[in-house]
Amino acid sequence: MTTSTWLAALSALVAIGAASAYVLLLGVAMVRNHPEGYVIGFALATGLAVLAVARARARRWPAWLALGFTSLVLIGGAWFNFVGARVPDTPTTFKVGDPAPDFTLPDASGRPVTLADYRGQKPVVLVFYRGYW
Amino acid sequence: MSELQGLGAQLSEAEQAGVEIIAISPDPNERGQQLAEGLRLRYRFLADGDLAVARRYGLVHARGGPDGQDVPRPATVVLDRDGIVRWFSVARNFQVRPAPGDVLRVVRSLRDEKG
Repeated sequence: MTTSTWLAALSALVAIGAASAYVLLLGVAMVRNHPEGYVIGFALATGLAVLAVARARARRWPAWLALGFTSLVLIGGAWFNFVGARVPDTPTTFKVGDPAPDFTLPDASGRPVTLADYRGQKPVVLVFYRGYW
Repeated sequence: MSELQGLGAQLSEAEQAGVEIIAISPDPNERGQQLAEGLRLRYRFLADGDLAVARRYGLVHARGGPDGQDVPRPATVVLDRDGIVRWFSVARNFQVRPAPGDVLRVVRSLRDEKG
């Protein structure tokens, strides 16, 4: 295998590895909270693919294939992290020190749960999340 | 799926700390329940189907969903025993959650308050 082909394979591996590592380690806060990590991985992979193209002599297609793949992944990943996943920073209706707005919502068994019922009982952590589609 | 892992990672430790953890999403109840059982989490899943509560808290990301629908902004709000907001964090990137250590520190300090 030529150096170019070897670099091409390595670049694809780095790109796939960066994506897999992020998904597999989502449960680890350090990884989860630094999604720019996979973008850096993709940039590194693209760099390796550029090197592969620069080194290519006779058989050029593996290097170009790797460059096409890694740059697509880099553009897609960077867009997702820096644009797609952005959440607008609009003000909340409450601030620290305010009483939390009360509400009643059904729980998993359909039973209504009222926030105010916890008053005087114990601290409460409210976690708003997007859901799973 | 990633949302679920974030919740699990963040709260499995906190739930042992004598607090009520309430997860609120527009998801139907059954799915939240399945999720909780799958993760062996004891916190309560409440269904905020029309985002009424998220809206009341100012936590709606208008047209932020994959189909252009409104979705909640991922947020964690810690209340003390009197229902007063003591700490909160709203995501600027929906992949990111507050550091578990930050939430745990607040929860522990509230648990140790008189009451």
